[in-house]
Amino acid sequence: MVACTKDKTDYEAEIATEVTEYVEFEEAARITVGDYDIGVEALNGTFYVGYNEVRVKVTDKQTGADMQVSSVTFLPIRKEEGGNTTSCPHRYDMNISTDENCFSGYAVFTDASRPGGNWELYISFTIDGQLYSVHQAITVEEQLNMNLNMTSFTGKDDEQYIIALVSPQRPKVGENELVAGIYRFEQPNSPPTSDFPDPSQFTYTEVSGYTLLLDPRMPEPSMGNHSSPNNVDLTQRDDGLYYGVVNYTMTGNWTLNFILQNEEGRILRGTEVPTVFTPGIEGVKSELYIDVLF
Amino acid sequence: MKKKISIAFFGLFLGIHVSAQHTHTQSDSTKHLKEVKITAIAKKKIETDMKMAVSVDEFLASSENISFIKRGAYAWEPLLNNMSTERSTLTIDGMHVFGACTDKMDPVTSYVESNDLSGINITSGQEGNMHGATVAGSIDLKRKSIPFGMERKWSGAYQSGFEFNNRQFFNLSNLSYSTERFTADGRVSFRKAGNYRDGKNDEVNHSQYNKFNTSLGLAYKTGDLSSVRVDAIYDKAKDVGFPALPMDLWLSRAIITSASYKQLFDEGLLRVWDSKVYFNAIEHYMDDTTRPENLVHMDMPGWSTTYGLLSRVHLKKDSYSSEIQANAYENLSIAEMTMYPQNRSKKTMFAYSWPWVMTRFAGLSMNNTWDISERSRLNFGGSLGWNYNRSKYVEFNWIFHPATPQEKSRILPGLHASYRLEIDQFAFSVGTGYGHRAPSVSEGYGYYIYNSFDRYDYIGNPDLKNEISYEGNASAGFRNERMGVEAKVNYFYIQNYIVGRILSLGSPMNYQSVGVKGYTSLDHARLFNLSLNANYDILRHLHWKGMLSYARATDDKKGNLPFIRPLSYQTSLYFMHRKLGVWTSVNGDFEQQKYSPEYGEDQTPAYMIWNISGDYTLNFKGYQAVLQIGAENLFNTYYSTYADWGNIPRMGRNIFTTLKINF
Repeated sequence: MVACTKDKTDYEAEIATEVTEYVEFEEAARITVGDYDIGVEALNGTFYVGYNEVRVKVTDKQTGADMQVSSVTFLPIRKEEGGNTTSCPHRYDMNISTDENCFSGYAVFTDASRPGGNWELYISFTIDGQLYSVHQAITVEEQLNMNLNMTSFTGKDDEQYIIALVSPQRPKVGENELVAGIYRFEQPNSPPTSDFPDPSQFTYTEVSGYTLLLDPRMPEPSMGNHSSPNNVDLTQRDDGLYYGVVNYTMTGNWTLNFILQNEEGRILRGTEVPTVFTPGIEGVKSELYIDVLF
Repeated sequence: MKKKISIAFFGLFLGIHVSAQHTHTQSDSTKHLKEVKITAIAKKKIETDMKMAVSVDEFLASSENISFIKRGAYAWEPLLNNMSTERSTLTIDGMHVFGACTDKMDPVTSYVESNDLSGINITSGQEGNMHGATVAGSIDLKRKSIPFGMERKWSGAYQSGFEFNNRQFFNLSNLSYSTERFTADGRVSFRKAGNYRDGKNDEVNHSQYNKFNTSLGLAYKTGDLSSVRVDAIYDKAKDVGFPALPMDLWLSRAIITSASYKQLFDEGLLRVWDSKVYFNAIEHYMDDTTRPENLVHMDMPGWSTTYGLLSRVHLKKDSYSSEIQANAYENLSIAEMTMYPQNRSKKTMFAYSWPWVMTRFAGLSMNNTWDISERSRLNFGGSLGWNYNRSKYVEFNWIFHPATPQEKSRILPGLHASYRLEIDQFAFSVGTGYGHRAPSVSEGYGYYIYNSFDRYDYIGNPDLKNEISYEGNASAGFRNERMGVEAKVNYFYIQNYIVGRILSLGSPMNYQSVGVKGYTSLDHARLFNLSLNANYDILRHLHWKGMLSYARATDDKKGNLPFIRPLSYQTSLYFMHRKLGVWTSVNGDFEQQKYSPEYGEDQTPAYMIWNISGDYTLNFKGYQAVLQIGAENLFNTYYSTYADWGNIPRMGRNIFTTLKINF
C-alpha cells in the first residue's frame, strides 16, 4: 500500500476521546447496620452531577449472602451551611429488580459536593418486617460527560423543574435516541411531621404527559446556527422518561434548544430560536437549553 | 513476418480498436507530416494544431464533444455531450481512476501529462460502454507506448517553454529504449505557473499551480505473439489555487500502476487476448490556510483507492469482428471535513463528506461490427454490469435518509446499434442506444459537499433510481480531396435524471453556503447536441477548418439545465510551407440565452478570442528541433464562459514560446 501523507481520522477514536462513558455498576458507598451491609452502586462507582442510576444491595455482613429485602426507600439530602436542607429528583420507593437481586432507582444530583454543601443518602429497608434506617455522607463529582448535562429552572407555572439528560452517553454522528428525565419539585403543603427527613418535604415527581420540543444547533459562530433535519420531540414512555430523536450532523459542540410544554400544550419554559443561517454570529439559544459535546 | 508482428504490436499497444470505433473518434489528426508517419495508426496526437505544448485539458478542449467546467487554471472537469463526469466513464488505458476530491477538483485528466499520452478516445453515448456503464459516453486516455524494434535504439524528446501571462515554465522530457524483445520508456515533466492575469490585466489571485508527473513503462516480448507490460504513473500537484473556491489544493498525489499480458493469434476466430490488472491510489488535500479571510479554518482531505482488472478479446471472421471486454473494479472513496473553531482550544468539528463509500463493479461488454458490404456497416453491442455500494459510516446518510440500507446493488444494462452507409463521397450514419448508470459516490452518499457554483451544500441520496438513457444519433458527411463537411446530431432522453434540488430540511454546514440541496431524480431530462465540421484546402499550403456546435437541454418542466454550452464556434487557418507553419484561429461562444438561474447560473455574454502562432522546424545531425511562438487571446479580451465558476475571468493575452527537440 502507498503510505498517505496525511493520516485518515480514526473516527471511532475521535468520538471516544471527548466522551467519558459510564458502563459498569460499581460500589459507590457502603453502609453497615447491625448484621447487614448496604452497598450502593452507581455507574463507574461514582456519583456525578446529573442523572445517576442507583442500585442498592443488602447482604449479610458475615457471609456476604444476599438478603431477602421486601422494600427499600432512598432519599438524597443536601445539607448546606446554615442548616438549609434540600433534595433532588430521585426515586423514593426503589424498584425491586429480581434478576440482579437488588433495588434500583435514580438520583439527579443538582450540585457537586463542596465545602458548605454536602450530600447524604438516607436509606431504609425492611427485612422480615423489621425496618432499618441508615444514612451516609457521599461525594458527588462534577459531571465529566457533557452529554449527561442537566438544567433546573422555574416554569411559568412557578413550579421548580429539572431536566436531565439520560442517554446517549456517547452520541454518534447521525441519528441518536435522546432520553431525558423531566422532574417537578412538589411544594410541601404542611410542615414536617415525622423525624428528619420527612420525605413529604422532599418530593419530586416525574411529570407526565408533557412534551419537550427539540431544536439542536451548533452554537459556534463559524457554524452559523447550523442545525440538523429529522429530529423528533421528546414524549413520555412507560418508564417515566422522555424519548425523542436527535441527529448530529458532525462532531463538536451542540446546543439542545428546548421548549417545555405541559400536558395542555402550555409553554412552561423555552423560546423558539432563529432558524436562519447566520455565519459568523454565535447561535441564539432558547431560554431553556442544554449544551452537549462529543 | 517478424516485422509484421511488431507493427501489429505497435498498433495494439496504441490501443487501436480495430475499425469498431472509428465512426465516432474525432478527426483531429495531425497535420505535421513527419509525425504522421511515426504515429500512422494513432487516431490522435496530443497536440492541438495551434499549440505544441498543450496540457491535457487544452487538448480535450479542441474536441467538439467536450466542454469544460473551470474553477481556475488547473484540472478542468471535462463535460462530454454537455454532461458532467458522473455520466461518462473516464479511464486511462481502460483503467478506472476516481478522483479523491468531493468538489471534483481532480478529474482523472489532471493526473496525466500530455507527453505521456498518444491520444484520447472519445466515444459518444452507449457505444462508449466498453469500460463500464455510461450515459454520456467514454473518454479513454491512451498512453504512449514504444514499439519493439528490430535493433537496439534510443530515442527521446525534450520540450521546454514559457508562457508569459502566468509565468508558466514547463519542461517535458521522455527517453525510451527498445530492442527486439524489450522496451523501456520513461517520462518526466514539471510545470510551474503563477497567477494569471485577465483581460483587464488584473491578477486573478489563487490561480497558480505546480505539477510534477513521471511515468515508466517496461514491456517484454515473451514469445513471437505475446508480451507482458508493466506501467506506473506518479503525479504530484502542489499549491494549486482555485480562484472560484474558498480553498486551495495543498497537495495531491496519485500513483497509477498496471500489469498487462497480451497474446496475439495468427489465425482463427480469436485474434487478440489482452488482460490487465491495475491499482491506483489518490490522495487529495484541500486546505484554506492561504485564505485568511475565511471565517473558519477547515481541512478537506480525500482518498480514493481502486483495484481492478480488465480482460478483452478480439474476434474476427470474414466481415465480422467483435470485441468482448470484462471489467471489474473496487473503489474506496473517503473524504473528511474538519472545521476548527475560532477558539482553537475548543473541540474541532468533524464529519465525513464521503463516509468510506465502497463501490464494486463487474461487467461484460460487447461490441460487434459487421461489414455488410463495401459501403455499409452495422455496429451493435451491449453491456451488462453489476454495481454495488456500501457506506461504512451509514449513520451520516441516515440523517437525511433514515433507515436507508447500508448496501445497495444495481444491475446496469446497456444496448446500442448503429448503421453506417457510404455512397461515393457521402457518408451517413444513424444509431440508437439504451443504458443505465448508477449514481456516483457523491450523488449517492455525499454529505454536505459544498458547491461554490450555486453555493449550496449537497446531500447524496442512496435510494436514487438508476438514470436511464434513451439515445439517438445521426451524422451525414461529404468528403473529397479538397474538402470535407460533416454534421452530427445526438439526442438523449434521460429518465430519472439526477440533479440537486433545494431541501426544505437541514441547514448549511459550510459557512459560505446559502442552503442545502439534496440529489433527487427529475422525471426526465432531454439533451440535444449538434455539431458541424468543415475543412477546406484553399491552396496547397493553406488550409481552413471550422466547427460550430449547439446544444439544448431541458428538465421535465421545460426549464433549462445548467452547464449547457451556448452556440459556439471555432475557425482556423493554417499555412504550412517547408519548415514554416503559421496558424491562426478564432473561437467563441454566442450569448448564453438558455441559462438556468435555478442552478446558480447567470447569463454569460458572448465573447470571441483570437489566437495566432508560428513554428519553424530545424534539422541537424539526426536531431529535429521545432521552435514555436504564439499568442492566445491576442486582443486581451476580458471574458468568462458559461461554465466558469463564480464568473472568474479567463486568462488575458498569453504569449507562449516552446522549443521541442526530438532525437
